[in-house]
Amino acid sequence: MPRPALRTGFLRRIRKKLPGGASIVYYFKKKPKAAVCARCKKPLHGVSGISSSRKKKSAKSKRKPQRPYGGNLCSKCARVVIKEKKLKRVRK
Amino acid sequence: MIDVGRICLKTAGREAGRYCVVINKIDENFVMVTGPKSATNVKRRRCNILHLEPLEERIKIKADASDSEVIKEYEKSGIFSRFNIEKPSPEKIKAIQEMKAIKEKEKKERPPEKPKIKPKKKEKSTEKKKGDKKEGSEKEKKGLLKGKIKFKPGVKKIAEKKKPAKTKKVKKSKK
Repeated sequence: MPRPALRTGFLRRIRKKLPGGASIVYYFKKKPKAAVCARCKKPLHGVSGISSSRKKKSAKSKRKPQRPYGGNLCSKCARVVIKEKKLKRVRK
Repeated sequence: MIDVGRICLKTAGREAGRYCVVINKIDENFVMVTGPKSATNVKRRRCNILHLEPLEERIKIKADASDSEVIKEYEKSGIFSRFNIEKPSPEKIKAIQEMKAIKEKEKKERPPEKPKIKPKKKEKSTEKKKGDKKEGSEKEKKGLLKGKIKFKPGVKKIAEKKKPAKTKKVKKSKK
């Protein structure tokens, strides 16, 4: 049995077999995946890849870009979406 | 397409999705723009043409028109109702002007603080140099003492000439 601190779902495990035949488990802290644009699926700039507990401690401007759709769409896609939504209303 | 009085949609930056008016042209690429801030929350600022989407509407204003003039023109041409923009109340305009005045005051107070810090650094650096001079002078004395040997002092003097600032100050201190 591993010690109680390691018995959580929060840790990532890797099982390996040693040359002697014994098996061993390595424990790692999980990292969040890189953020991706919801429209074009490319990795986003300016979005920090820290765990959520650390994100709260960091400055607001360092968590994600301050524009509308920041952290969800990349800047190119956001321009297209904003034009579509706003201009539909105006150009009727 | 983009000229003075043209109403545009901002598509980039933190003010993306808000409407603004072109006030003046700066370059081929840049343009002055306002919301005004009391109406559409777009600051009076320089803006790249690529970050603007020009619309069909236009208002008649002079170049570099003030915010109050722009609001009057909005009322005449009925742009508040067309774009669903709220008319700014006089209280809101006052509050924004007060905030501007406070920020300008802070800016005026900031610059005198900087020179206070800089001379301290210079004093520290000069003190260190003085210490170096003393060390250098001692080394020179040693060099002079060793001057009876043929080659060593000559090599040292050439090395000192490469740093002219140090040697000049040393001579002054000797006098």
